[in-house]
Amino acid sequence: MGIVTEIQRFSLNDGPGIRTTVFLKGCDMRCAWCHNPETCEPSRQMMIYPERCIGCNACVRLDETKARSGLPPPRESLQLDDADGCFSGALRVVGQEMAASAVMEEIIQDCAYYEASGGGVTISGGEAMTQPAFVKELLTLCREHGVQGAVETNLAYTFDRLAELAGLLDLVMADVKIFDPASHRRWTGVGNERILENVKSLRTLNIPVILRTPVIPGVNDNNDEIIAISRYIADNVPNLMYYELLNFNPLGDSKYRALGLDNPFAQMRPLSAEDIERLADAARSCGIPVRVG
Amino acid sequence: MRDRVNQLPPDAPMDYRARMAILRERKLEDTQDKLRELGPVNSDDHGTIAPPPAFDEAFRNAIYSNHPNGSWYGYDGYSENFYRLMDLYPAFIDPCDAFPCREMAYLGSFRPQRGFLPEAPYDHLKPTQEQYDIVHGIGAQQHFGIDYTIGLTLGWGGLLEKIDAYQRRNPGHDDFYDAEVKTIRGVQQWMKHTLEAIDAALTRETHPVLIGNLKQMRECTEHLLDGVPRTLREACNWICWFKMASRTYNGDGAGGQLDELLRPYYEADLASGRVTRDEAVFYISCLLLSDPHYYQVGGLTADGRDMITYFSYMVLEAADWLDSSCNITVRVHEGMDRAFLKKSVEYLFKNKNGWPRFSGDDALTEGFMRLGYPKELAVKRVAVGCHWMSLPGLEYTLNDCVKTNNTRIFEVALNEMRHDGQPPSVERLWDIFTQHTQRCVEATAEGIRFHLKNQWRNSPELALNLLSHGPIEKGLDMSGGGAEYYNMCIDGTGIATVADSFAALEQRVEREGRLSWAQVYAALDSDFGGPNGEYIRRMLAESNRYGGGGTAADHWAERISLHFTECVTAQSDGELKFVPGWFSWSNTIPMGKAVGATPNGRKAHAPISHGANPHPGFRRDGALTAMSNAICAIQPGYGNTAPIQLELDPGMARGDEAVLKIVDYIRAIMKQGATLLNINIIDAGKILEADKNPALYPDLVVRVTGFTAYFCMLTKEFRQLVVERILKAS
Repeated sequence: MGIVTEIQRFSLNDGPGIRTTVFLKGCDMRCAWCHNPETCEPSRQMMIYPERCIGCNACVRLDETKARSGLPPPRESLQLDDADGCFSGALRVVGQEMAASAVMEEIIQDCAYYEASGGGVTISGGEAMTQPAFVKELLTLCREHGVQGAVETNLAYTFDRLAELAGLLDLVMADVKIFDPASHRRWTGVGNERILENVKSLRTLNIPVILRTPVIPGVNDNNDEIIAISRYIADNVPNLMYYELLNFNPLGDSKYRALGLDNPFAQMRPLSAEDIERLADAARSCGIPVRVG
Repeated sequence: MRDRVNQLPPDAPMDYRARMAILRERKLEDTQDKLRELGPVNSDDHGTIAPPPAFDEAFRNAIYSNHPNGSWYGYDGYSENFYRLMDLYPAFIDPCDAFPCREMAYLGSFRPQRGFLPEAPYDHLKPTQEQYDIVHGIGAQQHFGIDYTIGLTLGWGGLLEKIDAYQRRNPGHDDFYDAEVKTIRGVQQWMKHTLEAIDAALTRETHPVLIGNLKQMRECTEHLLDGVPRTLREACNWICWFKMASRTYNGDGAGGQLDELLRPYYEADLASGRVTRDEAVFYISCLLLSDPHYYQVGGLTADGRDMITYFSYMVLEAADWLDSSCNITVRVHEGMDRAFLKKSVEYLFKNKNGWPRFSGDDALTEGFMRLGYPKELAVKRVAVGCHWMSLPGLEYTLNDCVKTNNTRIFEVALNEMRHDGQPPSVERLWDIFTQHTQRCVEATAEGIRFHLKNQWRNSPELALNLLSHGPIEKGLDMSGGGAEYYNMCIDGTGIATVADSFAALEQRVEREGRLSWAQVYAALDSDFGGPNGEYIRRMLAESNRYGGGGTAADHWAERISLHFTECVTAQSDGELKFVPGWFSWSNTIPMGKAVGATPNGRKAHAPISHGANPHPGFRRDGALTAMSNAICAIQPGYGNTAPIQLELDPGMARGDEAVLKIVDYIRAIMKQGATLLNINIIDAGKILEADKNPALYPDLVVRVTGFTAYFCMLTKEFRQLVVERILKAS
């Protein structure tokens, strides 16, 4: 069994062709700018949207001590099961335990689109490789059904975990978030030494690789960072399909609030189109194909 | 009607692109005039302009009545009034345009009594029609395809000769033939007045290019009075004349296979050096400006040849020049040129005007053959209506005119189960629902049979008969025996509302036991009022939905469609065939008003679901693939459509790769049996702003259902439907 945050079909931004992206729950990094905070914790979580509450009290019906009028009870008094009777969208449990075969049932509904477009499945996160056995099982099923498989990963683990999947993967998408090790540790909670070593090892998989950098204002939105990453890629990843710069995504704020978390990047805005293109040009100057996502 | 003559300085740039830009701006002005003078309308743009104030009264004073109730009916009434209207029709001249005139009025809107011929009552059908809220189509006009090659080959003069020849052969049909002659004479009368208007414009216009254009316009009009079109300009102009006349006569909007219709004229012009490429694109663009008739490009020939040529690209380019409301359908088939499909998608995202649409050649052809027709015929069916195909000039169909309100059928069934004293269950409800569906379809078919028997003496098809194979030859109206084939359309509606209702009951009452039948009934009766009403409504609405992908509601939808299809096709009898589809057109609002609250959480009298689409919010990720699969699975499969309507964000197709993904999505759905795809490309923020103040967005075009319209021309209620769809999709 795996714990799945969401299955998103008709995904156009997670690899070649039309894809289904399976977002697994749990991540071993804590990127300060993360726009999917609901995927970080490996366990199921309650998301609360008070503005959607219709005051039906269905969530407190069995326990009058929780009763309040017109708003969901405080987070600390809620159990995950309390969301079961909520149909307003005020309470939502994120994360679902699923068998790989159940995920596959959803995936195969779009085989016609994968076939027409050269697409397939991308297993993402959180960090996909925090659930390696489930990923392997799912990729094996994909292979059996003739569906191309990819993982989107942060490479912050021993490389043999990924190498074990080599025969099941058609593509790897990986992040190189920050080149400076201290800065990487500061912003993500994890150093990048192993990640950079693993980037070098990607060539051994003999499959196409897409490398990506989320461009975060005040963190890595400068030529020095982007050029350092680009040079490293140019020197070490001969099987690179392309390098992609992903503009900062500000849409996670409501999810932070729903999880009862502070969003340190709440006030941050994405780079202008001109600025991100300028960085893309800097990356291109290192001789690698570059896209802006 | 604005004065467009001599409005530009003689040295103003006037190449073909510049002229089209001027014409486009003028069209926006005309649209604002229409909105001011005629108010909003929930239909196609039609390319009309507001007539001069005096016209309305002048024609009302000239109306000829042939019935004691003061109205007119039949061959005599329609031909005489059409002639009189044409005789009074204003001749509008824009020196920038390649072609003169615009449509300004609908003959039928002047009828003093608009009901069906009193001598042919159908009171015996009304109780059932009212019980099921059937859109019965009795008295409906046009909505079938014509063959423009007949007109382009014969011209008005040749058509008159053809009528004369057949009138001699078919004694006893003089009323019919005389009416057809008068119809043509009416158009010619309008053309003669137009010649005078062009002469007047020539005395005032000072721009040298536009003077030259007016002279060509005059020469063209004079030749086409009787003559056969010889050049691309004349061919386009002849089509303009016919479609303005037929639209005025009874609202006809069917075009044809535009690329193949016009290509021979272009090639002949090109060979003799009569035309440049830009000039040709300009002529096509002016034709599209004149009226957004439904045209098709591409498709397959009977021997499997792809009809896409360089000229198909020119048609799309012409629509791009116009960059306005347009109804061009690209016909998609397995072996089609991917580059052409890519170009089509690029235009769709570039202009964001809802064109082109995409029809599924393979499923449509295969489906039509299931009715017993050979492939040679099936491939000739072209996309020339909101959601429909038609064999040009061969087929009478009442496409898009006849609809069953399946949500009302569901309501009738649910009420019956409540009161019959038997224990309720979803399966029992299904049994009762199927019985009522059958009864409703039988009553609908009975209405169509009545129409076929009587329509010719109520409102004959005097304009469209002229470009059809059969009416002139037999002396019979298309609606009354003149056509070669009678394939009568019956569309179901509200499939999502009904499927979601079945699934919600199954899930919440029977599987989960969260609600009792009594609680459901009480909630519906109170329109989800009372202390728990909204809670119950949300619970029902949050049940698994049609479009979710392999959900119980998806299976219900398949079951509903299969049964509906069986009911409709069972009505076929010999040469008279009935063809099922799923399409509501703009009836989502009135049909919804006829039905109380439903177990899918829909409030009483709210709109039913649109076409074959799921209700907005059908799935958290809104996956187009899940929705498309569901719609592909409910296709009735007899050559009529159950369209997919998409609302896409403009950012979705950034870059070549993204465009190709949309192309591949289209290819994949067509391979899975999709029959028609309509796409809106609209930014959610923009549509919200436009809804607040439509007048600030005069050029915002949306594909409402099968048709495109200026957003500002829609009523508030209709804008709301579009807004909701787009917001939920975003």
